[in-house]
Amino acid sequence: MSNVLYKPLIKTVLALAIASSLLGCSSLGVQPWEKDQFAREDMALSSEKLDLALDDHIYFSKEGTSGGRSLAGGGCGCN
Amino acid sequence: MVANSSNPQANNISLQPREWGFLGSFTAMASPCEVLMALDDQHIAEQMLQLAFQEAKRIEQKFSRFIEGNLIWHVNHANGVAKPIDAETVHLLQFAQQCYQLSDGAFDISACPLMSLWRFDGKHSVPKHIDITGAIEHVGLSQMTLSDSHVYLPSGMSIDLGGIGKEYAVDKTAQMIAKQWPDHSVLVNFGGDIACPITKSDGWQVGIENPQQLDNAAALLTIRQGALATSGTTRRYIEVEGKRYGHIINPKTGYPVEQAPLSVTVLAPNCVMAGMLATMSMLKGSDAEAFLQQQGVDFNVFRG
Amino acid sequence: MQLTSTQSIASALALASCSLIGQTQAAETVPANDDWKVDAAIMYYGEQDRVQAVEAIGNVQKAFGDSSLLDLKIVVDSLTGASASGAVAQAQSQTFTRPSGKGEYTVKAGDTPLDDTFHDTRVQLSANWQEILNQDWTTNVGMYASKEFDYLSMGLNAGIERSFNKNNTTIALSGAFTNDVVDPVGGRPVALAEMVFSADYNSDAEYQAAFDQTRLNGDDTKQTTDVMIGVTQILNRNWLMQANYGLSSVSGYMTDPYKILSEVDLNGLTQGYRYENRPDSRLKHSVFLMTKGALDSGVVDFSYRYSTDDWDITSHTLETHYRYYFSPSFYGQLHLRYYQQQAAEFYQPFLMVGDALPEYASADYRIGDMTAYTIGLKFGQRLSGGHEMTYRLEYYQQNPDNNGTEIPGQLQNYDLFPSVKAIVAQVSYSF
Repeated sequence: MSNVLYKPLIKTVLALAIASSLLGCSSLGVQPWEKDQFAREDMALSSEKLDLALDDHIYFSKEGTSGGRSLAGGGCGCN
Repeated sequence: MVANSSNPQANNISLQPREWGFLGSFTAMASPCEVLMALDDQHIAEQMLQLAFQEAKRIEQKFSRFIEGNLIWHVNHANGVAKPIDAETVHLLQFAQQCYQLSDGAFDISACPLMSLWRFDGKHSVPKHIDITGAIEHVGLSQMTLSDSHVYLPSGMSIDLGGIGKEYAVDKTAQMIAKQWPDHSVLVNFGGDIACPITKSDGWQVGIENPQQLDNAAALLTIRQGALATSGTTRRYIEVEGKRYGHIINPKTGYPVEQAPLSVTVLAPNCVMAGMLATMSMLKGSDAEAFLQQQGVDFNVFRG
Repeated sequence: MQLTSTQSIASALALASCSLIGQTQAAETVPANDDWKVDAAIMYYGEQDRVQAVEAIGNVQKAFGDSSLLDLKIVVDSLTGASASGAVAQAQSQTFTRPSGKGEYTVKAGDTPLDDTFHDTRVQLSANWQEILNQDWTTNVGMYASKEFDYLSMGLNAGIERSFNKNNTTIALSGAFTNDVVDPVGGRPVALAEMVFSADYNSDAEYQAAFDQTRLNGDDTKQTTDVMIGVTQILNRNWLMQANYGLSSVSGYMTDPYKILSEVDLNGLTQGYRYENRPDSRLKHSVFLMTKGALDSGVVDFSYRYSTDDWDITSHTLETHYRYYFSPSFYGQLHLRYYQQQAAEFYQPFLMVGDALPEYASADYRIGDMTAYTIGLKFGQRLSGGHEMTYRLEYYQQNPDNNGTEIPGQLQNYDLFPSVKAIVAQVSYSF
């Protein structure tokens, strides 16, 4: 029920490894080749999106507030 | 084994237990080679050491410029005829081409005619300028033509993979060990070019030599995973009238790079990359530190 | 390949050297068939003595080249069992007219009134298209539809993402619009109308006429507009953080047509029941902060969410997932969640006879004071070919609280805020 709008980070890392970044000066962050950990599937923000969607649906229908992690998206008659 | 010409005695293969595991060592590519293995099982350590030794020897035999009749020898003696080469050689040459382009021609595996003029054998002599300009005509990797299966070099040109080969051997060996024994931390060290393919939680302590005080580690660093390579004038230079000429030659001028650091050590995800960044920074002379800073890598530079 | 920026030499070398030595580690993370990714799960949700639900979910992702991604999802769920109607327990058994007006149900003395009318099946479909425009920009658009017997929800969403700082920073802006149509069984109750009982009438026709007086004709709608802005920042080699701000504006029919309030006297005796009524607009804000870290043999995340709205519902949520790999192909994961909310201003557990009727009132415990917690365990088994099987078991408990209402007379004998205990069991398969 919630639309997870965050693209998998693994895609970002791949895209980035192919196109070399021209942006300089960073205070926070790492070099492209240091993103090995973020290329892990379990480090993607959407890595457990089915579980998160099911959880969101439970809490949406049982609690007074919802969403926050991603767009709450569509509704249902459960609330 | 009759077919195997490598004599274990001459290669000084040894395996010694250490408190943290096993230290394997041998000689290859004119360098002392080590494999540090954090494990208890001597049988596995022996297998790892054998694998490392065989891979180092294989790459040396195939790509050394000094072995008559090998693949590189045939390429260098083709006299203007395209030579068939295998996929591994194609990849190495493609990589060399990329490095040539990335360094704006400063890293050039076809610089052998120049290198042979500058003999760093301790004799205090600088080649004649006319010899240098003559040699430059046979230098320039842009003149090499590479296809998926053949390489063509104009007559008089030759290539030397010495600037990549050792790092490549380190990465290949490290990768093969990591693939076969993914649960053991290993450090592969071929003459100071190092790779640790599997994370060691407490890291390996690596000493960096000070070129002016050889055999005394001047800097210690801890490496958990990744690679390290050193480029430098550490043991090879000539000194004429108080001026030290390092073994880093600028292939465009034909002369050694001025104000090049004594040595540069770079940390990178793999040894080939570390070695290339170290070499490219040496070629930058006085700008070596600035170059490495721009690349955002960890490094250590010694200057005289 | 002639690059002018010196900064890019390291990046280019990283790529060139990796392809030279053919890093197998990088190769292994690429699934065998990276064009398609299918996730399927079946979940059981069961409350003690109350709602039971089974939900099946299927998600298909298909990549088109390196820059396009289609995501299709289908959810089917089926709900049975009883849920709290909002009425309070009494010393006598209580009889209620069913929401349809047809028939009645009786609740035993001392029991919290539960309405067991609900048997519903819902089907939800959604589709999302993501397009990586270039190294810096990514966009997505999506559609959503959910249909159940008395409810239809349809929505559109779109988002745009911009990467900065060598892709260490991503800013995402997204928006969604949803239109819902509510068509309750038996019609929408008139706000705070009193429940009528067929026993009080001489004939079915008279009863039906009286019942119809408590109902409005036709359906009603609700519109939701969501906007969210989020920042994802890579902190170092192992940690990233995310911060989101969300604004949601809802207008239209938000009353739960099946919820009622007891009207009690000073002794706590129920004199009648009224249908609830909620405001027709709601503006919600949420702030979500999360950090996620890659460990040597696991992954951990921590998140905090603050939510507030103009109904005065404020909530705090703390959540963590910790995964540990027992072996490269087997992991266990702990999930902990703590939730605390403060009641809506119009929430009241019952109405008092003789008091003036408020404009809005609801006794739905879900918008009352409440704390809730979840403890969950999950196990995942990675199979060959990039397949993965996971099992999840969670315990969820809600502890509603009195929001400060004085409890009159005999009502003090009953637990007006009973805990709700639920089990979630789930099996998932990905390939």
